[in-house]
Amino acid sequence: MSRAVDRSGTWIGWAFFADLGDALALTFGYMFSRSVTMQYPDKEKWLPYSRYRGHHFLTRDEEGEIKCVACELCARICPCDCIEVIPYEDEKGNRHPAKFEIDMARCLFCGLCEDACPADAIALGQQYEFSSFSSHDLVVGRDDLLGKPGKATTGGGVVAARLNTEQDVLVETSEPQGYNWWRNIRRT
Amino acid sequence: MELVFALGLIAFKVALLIAILLLLPLPLTWLERKIAGHMQQRMGPMRVGWHGLLQPVADGIKLLTKEDHIPAEADRFLFKLAPILALAPPFVVFVAIPFGESVSVLGAEITLHVSNMNVALLFVFAVIGIEVYGVIFGGWAANSKYAVLGSLRTCAQMISYEIPMGFAVIGVVMLAQSMSLLEIVRAQADVWNIVYQPVGFFVFFVAGLAEAQRIPFDLAEAEGDLGAGFHTEYSGIRFAFFMVSEYAVMLLVSVLSVILFFGGWNGVLIPLPPLLWFVLKVAFFLYVFMWFRFTFPRYRYDQLMAIGWKVLLPLSLANIIITGVAFL
Ligand code: SF4
Ligand code: SF4
Repeated sequence: MSRAVDRSGTWIGWAFFADLGDALALTFGYMFSRSVTMQYPDKEKWLPYSRYRGHHFLTRDEEGEIKCVACELCARICPCDCIEVIPYEDEKGNRHPAKFEIDMARCLFCGLCEDACPADAIALGQQYEFSSFSSHDLVVGRDDLLGKPGKATTGGGVVAARLNTEQDVLVETSEPQGYNWWRNIRRT
Repeated sequence: MELVFALGLIAFKVALLIAILLLLPLPLTWLERKIAGHMQQRMGPMRVGWHGLLQPVADGIKLLTKEDHIPAEADRFLFKLAPILALAPPFVVFVAIPFGESVSVLGAEITLHVSNMNVALLFVFAVIGIEVYGVIFGGWAANSKYAVLGSLRTCAQMISYEIPMGFAVIGVVMLAQSMSLLEIVRAQADVWNIVYQPVGFFVFFVAGLAEAQRIPFDLAEAEGDLGAGFHTEYSGIRFAFFMVSEYAVMLLVSVLSVILFFGGWNGVLIPLPPLLWFVLKVAFFLYVFMWFRFTFPRYRYDQLMAIGWKVLLPLSLANIIITGVAFL
C-alpha cells in the first residue's frame, strides 16, 4: 500500500501504473502462499478448545448415579425455554429427573444452564456435529445426554479426518492434537 | 477426387476447431476458479474428481438439465436468438486464425488454418463486432431493467473500445506490410512486434480486456450492481451459450495478442515445436486475464468512457503517427 502511494506520487510511477503493478505482484505472491482452507469434512477436522460450548452432556457421580437433582434451575434460567425436567423421588428419597429433555433446535448454546446448575450435573461439551433432517430428532432425552462426550481436552488443532457416510454422516479422526490452523494465515 | 479431399480436410478442420472451442471452457472455468481460490488463499473446487477437475463437467450437466426459463414479458424470438448471435461470431473468427506453418502428414501438405485470407485481420474485427448484437439483443429482449442497463453499457463500451483496438493494430499492419495473419507472424521471425509496438500492444490489450468484458471492464455483467447484467434472465443452456462465448472471446483476444505482438509460433532461445510455443504463449495470456480479474476492481462507467476516449484513442493515434514517421 505505502509503496504504491510513494511511487505513484511521481508522474513516472503514474505513467507506468506502479500501483497496478504492485497489486498484481501482491496477488501473484498470494497465489503461491499456503491456503487457509480447512478441508472439512473430507480431509480435516477442527478439534474444539476445552471451553468450547457444544452439545450438552449430563454427568454421573462416583456411584454411577445421575448427578442432576432435578431442581429445574437450568430450565428456569434458559433464555430459550428449551429444557424440560420432570422430577421423581427414588427409594432413598433423592430427587432425580424422570424426564430430562433439551430441544437442541432452540438452544443457543449460551451455557447459562451450566452456570446455574448447583450440582455440576449439566455442561456443554465438545460435540458439534449433530445436524439432522428433522427438528424432532434434535430433542435429546436424558439417556442420550448421559452418553454424550464431555469437555474437550484438545486445544483447537486441526487434524486429519475422514468422512464416513455409511450409517450416519460422521467425521472420524484418530489423532489427538493436530496443527494450529492460524499458522497458515499470511501476515504481510 | 482432389476436391473431395480438400473439402473433407476443411470439414475436418472446422469440426476440430468447433470441438476445441466448445470443450475449452471446461478446463478454463476450472482454471479460473482454481486461480481465484489460490489468490484468495482458498483451494477452489476440490470435491469432484482429483482436485475438482471434474467440477466443470458436473456444472455443465447441471446447466443442461436446468429449466430453460423465458420471462413472460420477454421478446421470445430475440431472446432465443441472442445467445446464438453471441456464440457464433467468436467461432467464425477462428476460421481466419492460423495456428502455425503448414505441416506435412503422410506426404500431404496440411495447413494449420482453415482459411488464409489476405484481409484476415479486417475479417476478425468485422466479425467480432457482430457479437455485440447478441449482448444487446439479450439485454433488450429479456425486458428486465438490469439486463437493459447491462446491454446499454456494453453497447457504449464495445463501440468505444473497438476504435482504439482497430487503430492499435494498424502499427502492426504497417510493420508487416500485410493484413494476413500468416504474413504478420512471418514478419516477426526475428524480432517480435512488442519490441517496436509496446504502446500498440498496451492499447490493444486494454481494449481487448474491454472487448472480452473482463474485469476491470466487466460493466456489462457487473455482478455487484446489475445482478448479472445482460444475461440476468438467462438460464440453462442459453446461459451456457453466453458463457462459452465469453471464454471464446477471451481466447480470441489472447490468440490475437500472441499473433500480432508476440511472434505467434516463433520461439526464442528454447527450441520447442512451434505449435507448443503458440499454445504456451496463449496460455500465458489466458492466465493474465484471470490474474487481472482477481486483482483489480471494476472501473466506474464514466472512468471507462474516459479511458477509452481520452487515453486509449489518442495513444493509438499517436502510435500510428510515430510508426509512420519511423517508417519514412
Ligand atoms: S445453553 Fe443456554 S439456551 Fe441452551 S439449554 Fe442451556 S441455558 Fe438453554
Ligand atoms: S441439570 Fe442441574 S440445574 Fe438442571 S435440573 Fe439438574 S441439577 Fe438442576
